[in-house]
Amino acid sequence: MKATIAQYYAGDSLLHRLDPRAKFVAVSALAVALFVRDSFAGLAVYAAAAALAYALSGVPPAWFWRAFRPLLWLVALTFVAQVVFAPGEPFFSFGFIHLSWRGLELATYLSLRLVVLVLIGSVLTLTTPSMALTDGLAWLGRPLRRLRVPTDELALMATIALRFIPTLFVELDTIMRAQRARGADFRRGGLRERVRSLTPVLVPLFVLSFRRADELALAMEARCYRPGAVRTRLHPLRARWADAALLAVTAAVIAAGLLV
Amino acid sequence: MSGREALAGAASDMPRGPDAPGAAGMSLSCAEVSFSYEEARAPIPALCDVSFELRAAGSLALMGASGSGKSTLLQVIRGLDAPESGAVLLDGAGPADAGYAALRREVGLVFQAPELQLFAATARDDVAFGPRRLGWPEAQVTAAVDTALDVVGLPPEHFAERHPYALSGGEQRRLALAGVLSMRPRLLLLDEPFVSLDPGTRRRLVGILARLKDAGVTLLLATHDVDLAWALCDELLVLNEGRVAAAGPWDFSPAGGRLLAANRLREPFFVALWQRLGRDPQRAPRSAAEAAEALL
Repeated sequence: MKATIAQYYAGDSLLHRLDPRAKFVAVSALAVALFVRDSFAGLAVYAAAAALAYALSGVPPAWFWRAFRPLLWLVALTFVAQVVFAPGEPFFSFGFIHLSWRGLELATYLSLRLVVLVLIGSVLTLTTPSMALTDGLAWLGRPLRRLRVPTDELALMATIALRFIPTLFVELDTIMRAQRARGADFRRGGLRERVRSLTPVLVPLFVLSFRRADELALAMEARCYRPGAVRTRLHPLRARWADAALLAVTAAVIAAGLLV
Repeated sequence: MSGREALAGAASDMPRGPDAPGAAGMSLSCAEVSFSYEEARAPIPALCDVSFELRAAGSLALMGASGSGKSTLLQVIRGLDAPESGAVLLDGAGPADAGYAALRREVGLVFQAPELQLFAATARDDVAFGPRRLGWPEAQVTAAVDTALDVVGLPPEHFAERHPYALSGGEQRRLALAGVLSMRPRLLLLDEPFVSLDPGTRRRLVGILARLKDAGVTLLLATHDVDLAWALCDELLVLNEGRVAAAGPWDFSPAGGRLLAANRLREPFFVALWQRLGRDPQRAPRSAAEAAEALL
């Protein structure tokens, strides 16, 4: 039950120590560049950059693979959809399926691009704790506050939601075990029966979540949380030379990808 | 049905399933049970070669510091986790024996804060969940539910149709216990049943467990409360980082005392009192009534 996509891997690599804002900007820029340039050569440059970043992150392959595996279906689906629906002169037809070389090429390109995109994105989430990521996003979203967008509150909501996902999974597991000890079987029967068998799990989980939300709200109030108030941080984000270097390297990679 | 009649019923048929033959109380034996939690980086060992015996209708207090493996052991015994090695024998039968699954269904496990698992719209439906899963005929389900509610002191005529979340915290805990008792367990595993109960409710729960024990149900009670463990249990099993540190009758010799201290435990109040009085701590009273009788 723990296969969250590209979960944070606690480590102390160069990439772990970079400022989340710099990492977010670099990853976003690379992702945009990936979609601007339509060529295998450009893709190769970005793939190499992603592979290098991944090697620097110190994340063990097994950890990465566990996170990446569920996405293989998406990649496979992209490939098949492109092959089936792509334009071009078909060299093979069967019913509504027409295979063309152009289609195969496009499908390969798009699936590889998806793989590189996931690789780049997961380097960010694998090396940045969710709290740091939301802090960074809140900072980057600051200009929106002029438009009365409550960016800090949104960032806090995201942080809380992310923080409680593992807690909820633990509670879900405990409740399922307790009901199994009372004879519940979540694997037997048809779809209807299985959905029904979830009632003894979902009701307590909802009750527990609402209770927890109430308690958290009270605890935050007790610690003087006020929406809209200016908050200081225990660990303020500090950009260093390494972060500037990351942005410079990223710009160089993007330029190389666009020019080859 | 009055409480006393309900308990007489409990004594005769409480621990038995509708068709199950045999006497009350299941014996339990763990033979070199080991278990680890799978984690991404490396498995975390939780139980290492845990061996002990608990005779039918016996009572055993499972103690040890937080994280020593108490909850894990209870879950492995109930079969929610399979041991990596070793075996859990119920009435002498192992996992390979015929009828083991049926024996396992006669093991009741009361989780920590079990009131968090209440889900049905009425107390009756919640308590009936287990028996219905066992496929008992509805008449038998009703009888089992009524008995269980009576045993935990929630008379069905007042409580059966109430909404579980409308009950008080102590009532919810007793209702959750009824949800396990309604399956007529012959071996009852309890994980910290007294946590966050007020003294009155706690005393009530001790009374309920004492009567189940008298009715012949085998008890395995994981708790940090040495006084309640001493009040209820004949024997002691101390876990330390997943290993058995002590198993068997309570031992209040100097060596036994050191062992308790090493596991962040202490002697029960009445035992300490008996030691101060220069009396044999092994024969210390289990309750205030026994103490008064011995002292007056």
